[in-house]
Amino acid sequence: MAARPDLRKTQDLFWSLITAPEGVRPGLEGLVRRGEAPSSILDEVFAGDERLSPADRLDIYANMYFFRLLDCLREDFPKVAAAVGDDRFHNLATDFLLRHPSGHPSLRELGRRLPRFVADHALGAAFPYLADLARLEWARADVFDAPDAAPLSRADLARLPEDRAGEARLELAPAFELLRFDYNVVRIWRDLEDGDPGPASARPREGNSASPDVDAEAGHHASCAHAAAPRGPRTSRPKMTAARVWRQRASIYHKSVDEEEARCLEMVRAGEPLGRICQSLAAGRSPARATERVGRLIQSWIEDGILAACTLPD
Amino acid sequence: MADATSVEAGGSTAGPARPPYLGHGVGLRRDHFERVLEGPTRIDWFEIISENFMVRGGRPLEVLAQVRARYPVVMHGVSLSIGSTDSLDEAYLDRLADLAQRVEPAWVSDHLCWTSVGGHQAHDLLPLPYTEEALRHVVSRVLHVQERLGRPIALENVSSYVGYRASSMPEWEFLSEVARRSGCGILLDINNIYVSARNHAFDPVRYLEGVPPGKVWQFHLAGHSDKGAYLLDTHDHPVCDPVWDLYAEAVRRFGAVSNLIEWDDKIPSFERLEAESEKARSIHQALLSGRTSLPGQESLSGQEPLPGGASFSGPSAEAV
Repeated sequence: MAARPDLRKTQDLFWSLITAPEGVRPGLEGLVRRGEAPSSILDEVFAGDERLSPADRLDIYANMYFFRLLDCLREDFPKVAAAVGDDRFHNLATDFLLRHPSGHPSLRELGRRLPRFVADHALGAAFPYLADLARLEWARADVFDAPDAAPLSRADLARLPEDRAGEARLELAPAFELLRFDYNVVRIWRDLEDGDPGPASARPREGNSASPDVDAEAGHHASCAHAAAPRGPRTSRPKMTAARVWRQRASIYHKSVDEEEARCLEMVRAGEPLGRICQSLAAGRSPARATERVGRLIQSWIEDGILAACTLPD
Repeated sequence: MADATSVEAGGSTAGPARPPYLGHGVGLRRDHFERVLEGPTRIDWFEIISENFMVRGGRPLEVLAQVRARYPVVMHGVSLSIGSTDSLDEAYLDRLADLAQRVEPAWVSDHLCWTSVGGHQAHDLLPLPYTEEALRHVVSRVLHVQERLGRPIALENVSSYVGYRASSMPEWEFLSEVARRSGCGILLDINNIYVSARNHAFDPVRYLEGVPPGKVWQFHLAGHSDKGAYLLDTHDHPVCDPVWDLYAEAVRRFGAVSNLIEWDDKIPSFERLEAESEKARSIHQALLSGRTSLPGQESLSGQEPLPGGASFSGPSAEAV
C-alpha cells in the first residue's frame, strides 16, 4: 500500500472528488485515468462501513457543494433562472462553477462573473437578452449592500449661491448604478415578475411606485419562486436602453431612463459641473427650458435619494 | 433577560477565562429582522453569521447596529478555514477584525474544519483527519488568528459524513487538544455530536465526557434530517428528542453554558423559534436550580448584570 497522502494532498483529493461534475466515482475514474491517483485511493484514505462506502459518503459532500452554490446563484439571479427554466439554469450553473469555482470566502461574491459568463455561453445565444438581464440582477445585488451615505436634500441644494450654481458638482450615492443595455431588460424583468405567482409578485411596491417602470424588492436575496419551465421570451429585438438602480431606505429599485437622463447621469458621474449638464440639454431648447429640464431631473434624483452631495470648487 | 450569571475560569486546562454566561440565544436571520427590532423578545442574545455582515453598508449593518444596542451579540463565522493547507486569508481576517471592532461581540467563533483549498472555496464545513500533523497545523493557525484579532476564539465541532483512515484519535480528543494547546474555547454543537455519532457509530455521551468542562463557552442546538443511512445537518427542523436528551447531559456536565438555537432553512416564525429557546431554558433551569457550583465554574450567582469578562471584550449595553 502506498504511503498515506499528507494533509495537503488529502485536501486536494477531497476537493477534486466532491467537485467532479458527474459525481465522486466518475471523478475518481478520471484521476486514475490521468495517472493522478491509484484506484485504491478511496479505500486507503477514507473510512466507510457496511451502510455507506467512502464514495457514498463523499457523494453527500459533492451534492451539498453543488446544490448550495446552485441555490445561491438562483437567489442572486431569480429572473435569469425564471427566464430559462430550471433545467437550463442548472446546466448553466454547472458550467459556470466548473469555469469559475468560488474564490471568495463570502457566497455574496459567487455570481459576480456570471453576467459576463452568460454572454459567452451557448445559453446567451439562445436567449440573447440574458447577459443584460444578469447584469441588471447583479447590479441590484451590488446596490443592496453598497456603502451608506446621507442623501442630498432640497435644503442642501438651496444653500448653493445662485450665482455659482453652474459651477456645482453633484455626487452620486454609492448605492447607485447606471447601466446601458442592448435589450429592454427592464421590461423583461417586469414581465417575469408579473407572471410569477409566487411571493415576489405579491410584494407591495414602495417609494415612487407610481412610475410604471419602477420595480422594487425588499432585498436582493428575497425569495422568488422559480418556474420549472422557461418563462422568458426566446426572442427579443435588440433595443438600446438604459436603467438606473438604486437603494432607498431598505429597498432596491430600478427604473428605465431615457437617453437624455442617462447622458446627464454619466456627466454627473464624470464630475461635470451643473452648467455643463445644462448646456448638454440646450440643443433644441431655450436656456429656460434646459434649466427647467435639469431642475426636474435633479428633483427626481433627490426624491429617489441617489445624490449624496453637491460641492462647489474652492 | 437571562438569568445572567457571573462565571469565572475553571476546568483543568490552562487558557483564558470562560466568557460571560449570556443565557439563551438564537441566530439573527433576515426573516426575523423586523420582529426583533419591533419590541421585546424572550431571547437573551443573538448570534450572527459573520460573513453576512462583512459588507460595506445597507440594511444588514443597520439592523445589526440596532440589535447590538439592545442585546449581546456573538460573531460566528463559516469561512475561516482554520484547517486548510492554504495560507490563512489575511484580507478575510482584516474584515473579521473590522467587524469585531464594530460589533464588540461577546466572542468570535468559527468551525474546526477546512472550507477551502487551492484558492477555491467549498462553502461547506469539511472534516479534518484527526492526526498529530493536522493538530499541529490547526493549533499554529488558531494562535495566529487569536493574535490578529487580539482575543481568543472558539471553535465548533462540525457534523461529518466521512472519516479518515489516518485518524489516530477521536474527534473529541482532537478538539480538546486544539483548545488546550491554543487556548481557544469550544463551541460544542450538541446536534453535530449526535449527527456525527450516528454517522460514524460512536457514543455521543462518550464525546461529552472527553471534553474538558472549563473550555466549553457555548452550545449549539439545531434540527437535522434523517436520510436513512445517515443523518444530515440541515438546520431546518425542530431539535429532536435524542438531541434534547444529549443537551440535558451536556448541561449536567458543563453547567451554565450560553446556548443558541440555530434554524437556517424553512425558517419558522420568530415565536416558534422563541418557543424552542424557551424549551432549552426550561431544561437548563430544571437541571441547575439549586446548584451553586458547577464544573468549570467557581461561582454562580443570581441576577447579576452581564460582566465585562476579564480577558474578553464582553458585551455591554452600549450601542455599536
